[in-house]
Amino acid sequence: MSSDLVQILEGNTFVVSDRNGDIDASPVDATGLFSFDTRFLAKWVLTIDGERLNALSTDDLNYYETRFFLVPGTGTVYIDAKLSVIRQRVVGRGFSERLTILNHDDKPVSLEVRLEAGSDFADLFEVKDQLKKKGTYYHRAERGRLVLGYKREGFDRETWISASEPAKIDPEGLAFKVKVEPHGEWTTDLEVVAASIAAVELMATRAKRKRPSLARGLDKWLAQAPSLQSSSDSLRATYHRSLVDLAALRFETMTLPGRSIPAAGLPWFMTLFGRDSIFTSLQSLPFTPELAASTLQALGERQGTRVDDFRDEDPGRILHEMRFGEMTAFEERPHSPYYGCVDATPLFVVLLDEYERWTGDTRLVRDLEFEARAALNWIDEYANLQGNGYIAYKRRNEKTGLENQCWKDSWDSISYRDGRLPGFPRATCELQGYAYDAKVRAARLARLVWKDPAFADRLEAEAADLKRRFNDDFWVEDGEYFAIALDVDGSRVDALTSNNGHLLWSGIVEKSKAKAVAGHLLGERLFSGWGVRTMAEGEGRYNPIGYHVGTVWPYDNSFIAWGLRRYGFKDEAARVAAGILDAADFFAGRLPEAFGGYPREMTRYPVQYPTACSPQAWSTGAPLLLLRAMLGLEPIGDHLIVDPALPASIDHLELLDIPGRWGRIDAFGRGRIDTGKN
Amino acid sequence: MAADSVTQYFEALAERGHEPLLRSASGTIRFDVRSGGRVAQWYVTIKKGDLSVAREGDAADTVVRVDAAEFESLTKGRVNAQTAVLRGELAVEGDLGLVMSFQRLFPSPPKSVYARRIK
Repeated sequence: MSSDLVQILEGNTFVVSDRNGDIDASPVDATGLFSFDTRFLAKWVLTIDGERLNALSTDDLNYYETRFFLVPGTGTVYIDAKLSVIRQRVVGRGFSERLTILNHDDKPVSLEVRLEAGSDFADLFEVKDQLKKKGTYYHRAERGRLVLGYKREGFDRETWISASEPAKIDPEGLAFKVKVEPHGEWTTDLEVVAASIAAVELMATRAKRKRPSLARGLDKWLAQAPSLQSSSDSLRATYHRSLVDLAALRFETMTLPGRSIPAAGLPWFMTLFGRDSIFTSLQSLPFTPELAASTLQALGERQGTRVDDFRDEDPGRILHEMRFGEMTAFEERPHSPYYGCVDATPLFVVLLDEYERWTGDTRLVRDLEFEARAALNWIDEYANLQGNGYIAYKRRNEKTGLENQCWKDSWDSISYRDGRLPGFPRATCELQGYAYDAKVRAARLARLVWKDPAFADRLEAEAADLKRRFNDDFWVEDGEYFAIALDVDGSRVDALTSNNGHLLWSGIVEKSKAKAVAGHLLGERLFSGWGVRTMAEGEGRYNPIGYHVGTVWPYDNSFIAWGLRRYGFKDEAARVAAGILDAADFFAGRLPEAFGGYPREMTRYPVQYPTACSPQAWSTGAPLLLLRAMLGLEPIGDHLIVDPALPASIDHLELLDIPGRWGRIDAFGRGRIDTGKN
Repeated sequence: MAADSVTQYFEALAERGHEPLLRSASGTIRFDVRSGGRVAQWYVTIKKGDLSVAREGDAADTVVRVDAAEFESLTKGRVNAQTAVLRGELAVEGDLGLVMSFQRLFPSPPKSVYARRIK
């Protein structure tokens, strides 16, 4: 997102405007008022006496509220302002805008104030891909409001625009004849509603549940999270940024009113994503455990029940992405919801167990027994596409489905050393780790909560067998690491990648192999000094600015650090944490999705990879998981084990009031590990 | 006849008793199914997955208005309920979440083939 744009949001409704508060979108740019994946306003331009205004400053009050200070006249050398204009905008069911004009002169002024309004009702996918609309537009003025509409068969969407002061309404906007007394002011409250006729209550029910105060919600959110004290200003700032951004990334689903779920990214991915919501919930468990609970419930409620090729759906499968726009409605895109994702299903079980270990909430584990069993069944019955007992993927929707259904989902992310791409179905390595972990963890839940020891025994036997086979089948002997995938014919797809770190996290790596794996992760080919690259330098497709073939992903690194800790590599985990947290400092605490894999000593600063969304949920969660890894937080029974291993750059660190089944516990640590080589 | 198919569907639904896919749902959906100018009403009550079906009832949490032919398509898996709601073919008033839960009971699209199934 371009830095001269301003965005505010509430749930999946958001506004992107220029620094004046104006929206003047072309079909392909990203400004506008969006709700439920549809652009409800593409034009919203304020003029006074026919002239646009000039921004003095923009005040981002909050993620859902902003204030624009403006004066008449554009771009002139100096501004002789007898007038100032303030637009204060809050997102809700659309947005409200309080427009105030102040007259600083000692003479009255008469002004023609106009708001130009228009909409293209573009689907988010159309904005990205420049597609043509198939329906018809209409507009009408009624009962003091301007209605902009779009209709395609029964699909009908409307934007309602009204003002508290009398206005002359025409199809292109609202006009006010304004007189402002000397040193006086004039104000009107504008209301823009993203309404809908066809999906009737979808939006209306949502509006009825208006929150009492968004600001209070944020204060409460911050107050409930553990407080962090540290000698490192940068760490404190990053922690605060993460919590605030996580608050902004929350949204509600229809079936769980009042409960918030982490969406994947702002603003384009404010929707339910299986993978992103689960990873973010895992990262934030020690800080905001309620996100995990609502994520599990929401994903459980939409777990696959059918065999549907268009949606790549199977019974027991956890969804990939849910959308509500026109292209989804007319099945030009499969996101209703789309299930083409293979990691979310085992990770659903992993999250359920990890959640219980932190919170002791066995009720939710009981409530979701059916869903967890269905997910485990999916692994064996539906994901075994190569016939060898490994999870593999191959899309059935060949037109609009996803080719790569693991987290590295770009076309060239899975390759041999020499750059060759394998065929389909593909069995990537981390999927087997997640499946192993899911079985081990489900066995624990089966004994503890579901009271089914026979099921637990079966799962443990399967997990042990999977681990044994995996360590043979995926191990690249001459390199001493795990292949990124197995090809259709069983060949090891032998590029060296960061996926090895996820394997440590899952526990599938045999102890005798862990040291070599950790050595690679911190070795020169993978470790850039800032973090672990997605693909090792020297591989055929390595590119330091290739999306999944050489960049460094903070989210990836946070799980790698957790994995290193799991196998006892404390110093190595601290080095990864130190690198990523150092990088965060360059982004004012807000880590991007990815940054360049250039060696740290070469660029001296992390080169951001250009992506559309910021903040991104699992990047926001990365510092949280890194804190957990550095402090060595591990729930054992009703206790929280604290075993700090901090980089020397953090002199001391206190994390106070960590919530969990123990009530609240404090953790302390001092930096002792020399990570100077970073 | 679509209307007969609708009747058959609700009668079979009443036989299902408990439906684990709806364990987290509770509420009553009234289906107003239009056919040849007449509207047949069906009340489906879900209590934590326990299903009951009636022709009469009191207030419903959700009212769904739909043509018999469209409803038949939904119950045969030919039309997807979520996209039908978004397209305005299935008019829903009240708690949409309840309908989104209920539609999980509809079957797979008939044209979907399961690619490979190896144990």
